[in-house]
Amino acid sequence: MHSDPTDLIQRAQQGDRTAFEALYRAHAGRVYALCLRLTADRALAEERTQDAFVRAWERLASFRGESAFSSWLHRLTVNAVLLGRRAERRREQRVFTSDDPAALERPGGADTSSGSALDLERAVAALPAGAREVFVLHDVEGYRHEEIAELTGIAVGTSKAQLFRARRLLREALNR
Amino acid sequence: MTGPHMETKLDEYVDGTLAAHDRASVEAHLAECASCRAGVAELQSLSASAARLPKSIEPRRDLWPGIGRRIGQRATWNVQRFWRGAWAAAAALVLAVGIYRLFRVPRSDFRVGEGQGWVAVQADFDRTTSELGLIFAAERARLRPETVALLERNLAIIDAAIAESRAALARDPASAELRQLYAAAARQKVELLRWAARVAAS
Repeated sequence: MHSDPTDLIQRAQQGDRTAFEALYRAHAGRVYALCLRLTADRALAEERTQDAFVRAWERLASFRGESAFSSWLHRLTVNAVLLGRRAERRREQRVFTSDDPAALERPGGADTSSGSALDLERAVAALPAGAREVFVLHDVEGYRHEEIAELTGIAVGTSKAQLFRARRLLREALNR
Repeated sequence: MTGPHMETKLDEYVDGTLAAHDRASVEAHLAECASCRAGVAELQSLSASAARLPKSIEPRRDLWPGIGRRIGQRATWNVQRFWRGAWAAAAALVLAVGIYRLFRVPRSDFRVGEGQGWVAVQADFDRTTSELGLIFAAERARLRPETVALLERNLAIIDAAIAESRAALARDPASAELRQLYAAAARQKVELLRWAARVAAS
């Protein structure tokens, strides 16, 4: 579907589910990638992707267009993942294991990632949750520490410390 | 090389977030320390690799059916909740007004305006029960068959009581006792229909 995004958003805001489905189709890959990297778990990432779009549907009326729709949606996604993580705290932390490398394939199902990119994906997935979240938000998604602090509720200094820790662990893992 | 303090500085140096004074200090150190230069190169490579990771990964399955179902359920639930609340309020209001009209007319004055207030009360009641009945009819498929059967038996009993009290009131319109009986039966029917609509919508 090649509809105008602004038109789709306006129609979705008026309750048009077909328009909202088109928005989902346009943004699902970005949202899922973010969820997958933040959770390091394919099943959880699917759940959080769905949570994020349900939250987006419920809050569409509050989207006024001050920021890009994708930025607004990504913030909702980060919130959905963090809320989900709090709810899941009692569950055993799940991380990617070496028998599940296909979980981070590129779009289309074929593994077109370079070896080093796949190694990096695996190493990121194996990071402790707090360090992984900050690394993904800062180094992959490009958020600043101040934005990460606001999104996640941690202090700016904690965000910097987690990034430092993540990078150190990643360098160790990739140099093995 | 350096302790943890310098390592943190190198991270911030790579991110470009160091103050000018600290940046100059780090650069001076880097000019002399091959180990830290290698560390900086590694950090830059790591950050660049992270930034180049694919921004989009398609889910292995279509997630829309689950999303569509959830937003559909919530929309339905919101509409049902709205109507449930609206009809509960409307039915309560109609009943209160009806009962007030029934009992505010002194027996001695009733025959003066005979029929006027009474016709309005009955019309309000008929309209309310009809509308609640339509909601119940639309939602009855969501109830278990045995619940529907029980409801219909009770509604039939109440309808018989209403019909009897109406017939009696037609013969003796000024009877306060008959009006009380009619009001009690009407209230029961509205309450039962409200309950049915609420349960079916929940």
